[in-house]
Amino acid sequence: MALKGGRLPVVDERALPYSHPLYDTLLQTPGLSVATAAVDLVLEWGLRNSLWIFPMATSCCGIELMAAAASRVDLDRMGTIVRATPRQGDVMVVAGTITVKMAPRVLALWEQMPEPKWCIAMGSCAISGDFYRNLYPVVPGIDTVLPVDVYLPGCPPNPEVLMHGLLRLQEKVRAARSGQPVPRDPNPGLIDLTKPANGRVGDPSRAADLGAQQVAAALVASSLDRSDEPAPGAEPVVEAPDEPAEPAFEGVAPEFEALLRDTFGVTDFPKDRAPAVDPARHVELARSLKRMGWRQLVYVVATHYAEKTGAKASPERFEVAYALRSVGAGSKVAAWRLELAPGQQPPSLVGLFAGADWQEREQFDLVGVGFAGHPDLRRIMMPDAWDGHPLRRDYPADKECAPWR
Amino acid sequence: MQSARRGGIDPHLSITHYDPEADLMLLHFGPQHPSTHGVFRMDLHLDGEVVIKATPYLGYLHRGVEKLCEKLTYVQQTPVVDKNDYVSPMTNEQALNMAFEKLMGIEVPRRARWLRLLLAEMQRISSHLLWLGTFTLDLGGALGGGSTVFLHCFREREMVLDLFEDITGARFHYNTHTIGGNRHDLPAGFAAKARAALDGIEARIGEYEDLSVHHAIFVARTRGVGVLDGDLALELGITGPVLRASGVDHDLRRDAPFHAYDEVPVKVSVERGGDCLARAKVRFAELRESIRLCRAALDGMPEGPICGFKPIRQPTQSKATSGQVYVGIETPRGELGTFLVANPDAPTTPYRLKIRAPSLHALSALPYILPGATVSDAVAILGSLDPIMGEVDR
Repeated sequence: MALKGGRLPVVDERALPYSHPLYDTLLQTPGLSVATAAVDLVLEWGLRNSLWIFPMATSCCGIELMAAAASRVDLDRMGTIVRATPRQGDVMVVAGTITVKMAPRVLALWEQMPEPKWCIAMGSCAISGDFYRNLYPVVPGIDTVLPVDVYLPGCPPNPEVLMHGLLRLQEKVRAARSGQPVPRDPNPGLIDLTKPANGRVGDPSRAADLGAQQVAAALVASSLDRSDEPAPGAEPVVEAPDEPAEPAFEGVAPEFEALLRDTFGVTDFPKDRAPAVDPARHVELARSLKRMGWRQLVYVVATHYAEKTGAKASPERFEVAYALRSVGAGSKVAAWRLELAPGQQPPSLVGLFAGADWQEREQFDLVGVGFAGHPDLRRIMMPDAWDGHPLRRDYPADKECAPWR
Repeated sequence: MQSARRGGIDPHLSITHYDPEADLMLLHFGPQHPSTHGVFRMDLHLDGEVVIKATPYLGYLHRGVEKLCEKLTYVQQTPVVDKNDYVSPMTNEQALNMAFEKLMGIEVPRRARWLRLLLAEMQRISSHLLWLGTFTLDLGGALGGGSTVFLHCFREREMVLDLFEDITGARFHYNTHTIGGNRHDLPAGFAAKARAALDGIEARIGEYEDLSVHHAIFVARTRGVGVLDGDLALELGITGPVLRASGVDHDLRRDAPFHAYDEVPVKVSVERGGDCLARAKVRFAELRESIRLCRAALDGMPEGPICGFKPIRQPTQSKATSGQVYVGIETPRGELGTFLVANPDAPTTPYRLKIRAPSLHALSALPYILPGATVSDAVAILGSLDPIMGEVDR
């Protein structure tokens, strides 16, 4: 992303002291304080009992937000209704993962909400990014973007937790209006109003060997499980083989194999992967297959093989795998792959299969393989100004996405 | 440069070559709008009320799942893919673990295959109920006071989620499938509770049909709207109810059986219309069929182990050093596939993992079927495709 430099400053305008000449005059008028206190009490009561939700529902937590608004939990009875416009919302519920592409939109919508406004971070993705936290496209917590009042842990939190969070927010509203401290939650494990300081992730030492660390952690976790003996009366369990079994590719359909052998001169049919086809002739192959009844496009997958040195030295290369499916009873897949040198562009299949349009764009965006003759080859997942192709093997998983991380 | 013109519609139409006299309007639709079912964005070029060109933009929920899976061991990935298609996590887990099992050549016990069938069909019921509720919301307030169907559908969906909670302890993201079988067996008394819930849901499907596909306003809003040709749907790689609503008789549960579908035959529902109404009818038929399949699975559930291995396995035992596999299964949205390349240098992790998301293919029909529709129909068409952005963007 083009945004570089430090983090965006998060300004909580509510923390600034409020001052207005008329307000100050009213405060100093004798006798008025009683009246304003009464008005303030009514205002606070109304505010607290009509917290309208503006749902920033991006993913799974959004479904639980819907469930909370629906029949069983029914948020309406708390005066909380869901309004799909920032102009009518009091509480932004950030429900779901926020990505670098989405974060500027969230901020724009937050700024469109009128004061007073509050924010609930629902679910571990909104709190901290969850297990996507260290990944290149994910913002590590919505509080790097805007100020958050209530954090609801869970993946996703149950609808009841959202309801509890709203009750806590009501208490917070009351406390803030009367200048009292927010009371502690009786169940601090369920809900946290004051998030512990969260160290920013992004130091390269964590990136270096994420995979090995995960394996080590999993090994420790599984060594804690001592129940190797089956329970009495239980079915005996099969021990896993030490050696991996022979990998089974689904096999090549006879007519597909005959076509490859006779017309396209393919002689090598490996057991564990699809046959390789000359990139110059693969459009012709796809056309023949389409005519023979393989009419459905299944996938286009590009794989990047990084350069290897040492005993098993191999140069950098790419592979693009294609598959078509025959329709109806006894449906079979016809799969093949193209072996490509870096920079080599296979011809696009868009002319034959309209679905290849987005599939090839995705592989171009994420792996960096170009497709000759594609009518509209531009990024599809990442922002247009993104640097690099994330699914290449040499791309660091936790690449910095300034200013969010 | 070759054009991808299909059925007279060019998705890459250059607007500057369209009628220069027309007073076109550019409408940004999404990414934050409830009717986009998540964070989907389209740019609609409008001539009056009619869409001339639709340009979808994806990636607002791209979370790098495939990159994350390259870093995790095989046994650690199940809870990650739960979050892809968050309306049917069970089938996500199944598609992933079946690819691992195929790569490693691991057999799944018969009871686990039946259990997976039961879970998949229950998930289909809850997923279609959620689709129906949100689709009627998309169509607006004319249908029984707007959110009536939505509230009813969520009541029934909670019944299914309660059953899942009984089995796995979780309402939403289950992490119950593993390599070689399942982690959680059916609890005592499950069959009776499940049958009661299924009876309750089945009794109410007729009510929903009266409120939707038999309802004059619903039919007026959906008949002939967003017609998708069967050939184009196949070319786009569209699967599932959207494909079957376009008259293509194709369902992997019957045509390439997995789980125990070879023992429990599936009656595939096909509609010829290709419009939003046909898609709704297919999903209604699938709701009934899924209830029947759930009952069959409860009746015929064999005894035996639910996992070929110890359920909590050493990550080092799940390994593969060579090979590429692809497994596709039929989820509520179509063919969810996992393409997997083994890593010879780190046998416990995959070298490349690609998730073939049926919603992505369904959305790719939009540039072809939206031109000519009005803005309000665009919302109905998008809803009828039932996209889940979590698996579109991954």
